[in-house]
Amino acid sequence: MTMTLRSMKKTAPHILLLGFLIVTLYPFIFVLFSSVKSDNQAIASNPFGFPSSFHFENYYEAWVNAKISVYFLNSLYISTLCSVATIIFASMGAFAITRMRYLKMSKGLYQFILIGLLIPGNALLLPIFIMLNKMEGVFGHPILGTHMALILPYTAGAIPFTVIILSAFMRSIPGEIEEAAVMDGLRAKGVFWKIIMPITVPALVTVFIINFIGNWNEFILANFFISTDELRTLPVGMVGFRDIYNTNYAQMSAGIVFSILPVMIIYAVLQKQIIEGLTAGGVKG
Amino acid sequence: MNKTLRNPWTYVLFLLPLLVLYIMFFVYPMISAFTTGFMKWNGLTEPHFNGLTNFKHAFNDDKFWQSVFNNGKFILFSVFVQVPIIIFFSLLISNVKKLRGLYKTAVFVPSVMSTAVIGILWSFIYEPDIGLFNLILTRIGLQPVMWLSDSHWAMFSILLTNAWQWTGFYIVMVLAAILSIPREIDEAAIVDGASAFKRATKITVPLIMPVISVVIMLSIAGAMKAADIIIVMTDGGPGGITDVMATYLIKYGITNAKYGYGNSIGVLIFLFSLILTALYQVLFARRVERVEY
Repeated sequence: MTMTLRSMKKTAPHILLLGFLIVTLYPFIFVLFSSVKSDNQAIASNPFGFPSSFHFENYYEAWVNAKISVYFLNSLYISTLCSVATIIFASMGAFAITRMRYLKMSKGLYQFILIGLLIPGNALLLPIFIMLNKMEGVFGHPILGTHMALILPYTAGAIPFTVIILSAFMRSIPGEIEEAAVMDGLRAKGVFWKIIMPITVPALVTVFIINFIGNWNEFILANFFISTDELRTLPVGMVGFRDIYNTNYAQMSAGIVFSILPVMIIYAVLQKQIIEGLTAGGVKG
Repeated sequence: MNKTLRNPWTYVLFLLPLLVLYIMFFVYPMISAFTTGFMKWNGLTEPHFNGLTNFKHAFNDDKFWQSVFNNGKFILFSVFVQVPIIIFFSLLISNVKKLRGLYKTAVFVPSVMSTAVIGILWSFIYEPDIGLFNLILTRIGLQPVMWLSDSHWAMFSILLTNAWQWTGFYIVMVLAAILSIPREIDEAAIVDGASAFKRATKITVPLIMPVISVVIMLSIAGAMKAADIIIVMTDGGPGGITDVMATYLIKYGITNAKYGYGNSIGVLIFLFSLILTALYQVLFARRVERVEY
């Protein structure tokens, strides 16, 4: 009797947690199963079960019809470029703020950049849209509607968060290290590239992952700042695909799998860094 | 030493790209919103000052208030529905040893996904004829529901999807806080004969109040950011009933090029966020005592 009560006490939480796990993961499984079913009819008649026959051609059709390869590459290069650019500019700035001898000035600048975190992004959406639209007059060719319209705001948008995380890290580096480097004849540029940056790598990896995921998933700017189909990023492309092929849910599911899979793979490999980075970002942000 | 790291040109050079981007994409847009928000401007004609007309117009528009209330529903749903669920499951996970890693990894999955793709996935689940929910309802003999096109259900459907995406994220945050409580505190309570329920409600939950307060703050920030999930799932429909302030702004400012009016909504988003932050400080943050172990 005591044994069964004890084992009940041990298994009850697991039953509840497995239930929660199913609620969390079942939508993915539902889409995965639907993606290899023949058509809507097959999904309706057998919604929960394993597919009776496998229609992998849905994946081929989705890849071709939805131009997922195009969206995928757009997302990949924009997300990577912007995350790297943010990190370079933010670490240069964080270096000047935390390591150079202009303490009063730096303190003010740091507070100034901190304000950026408090401004709700949605309030800035329209002014940025108008500004990018007007830039055509400055550069002679349109910015709005090109990838530049995403690259500039993505790079800039992540700056406050990135500066804060990197400054916190760089501040904790002991001053003796760079003093020795200066004795050895390094200039400020050398101290930055050869001494401070290599030490900061762990923090750089964290902010890179967070910014990359943020850029990869961004929808609002990508939806309203770009109208050419070939230039779309993956989330926007997927929504467009849904709007056109919303009668063929099997193919649409295959499209969803394509857009989820890369993130799933990255998550499977880097889950520890991703969880730490995102939740730390939440606490600090 | 001092000379190397005290070179004004180097200092400026290191900060210049950062400050140029920051001023272009934070400072200038903010000033621009606060000036053109008081102007009549449709992008074609020259903008001209019209005082508080835009704001009066917004305050007299029922659709604007509907969108404000919908932002409020996001906040209320997170605080009163999500937070208890988050606490409950974090406590459960912290109490098991087996499979803890798996639970943590799995519940976090939806929060790394794109909200747009999550929105597509869930519109499939809500689909009237072959969506998961209606297939379940019809199998158990109930009437199917038009989840996203019925005005009684549309907002709830969006809130549910949003909760599904973010609950796991917060569970992982709260779980980390629970696991950082020293074991001795719990062990002392066990020796004193406190039941598991008593230990959870009298010891663990009070000790994790700081992180719960952070969860609430992040939920408020998230509620003010919500826009993509609505655009993807209902686009504000049916009849503007699921619009939030951000989608209302987009509809007027970007889709209909009412730049002046759109920016006045941007100013209101900024002010409402400020008020909410102040309210949060008074209601939650000040009351939470931070405990150092």
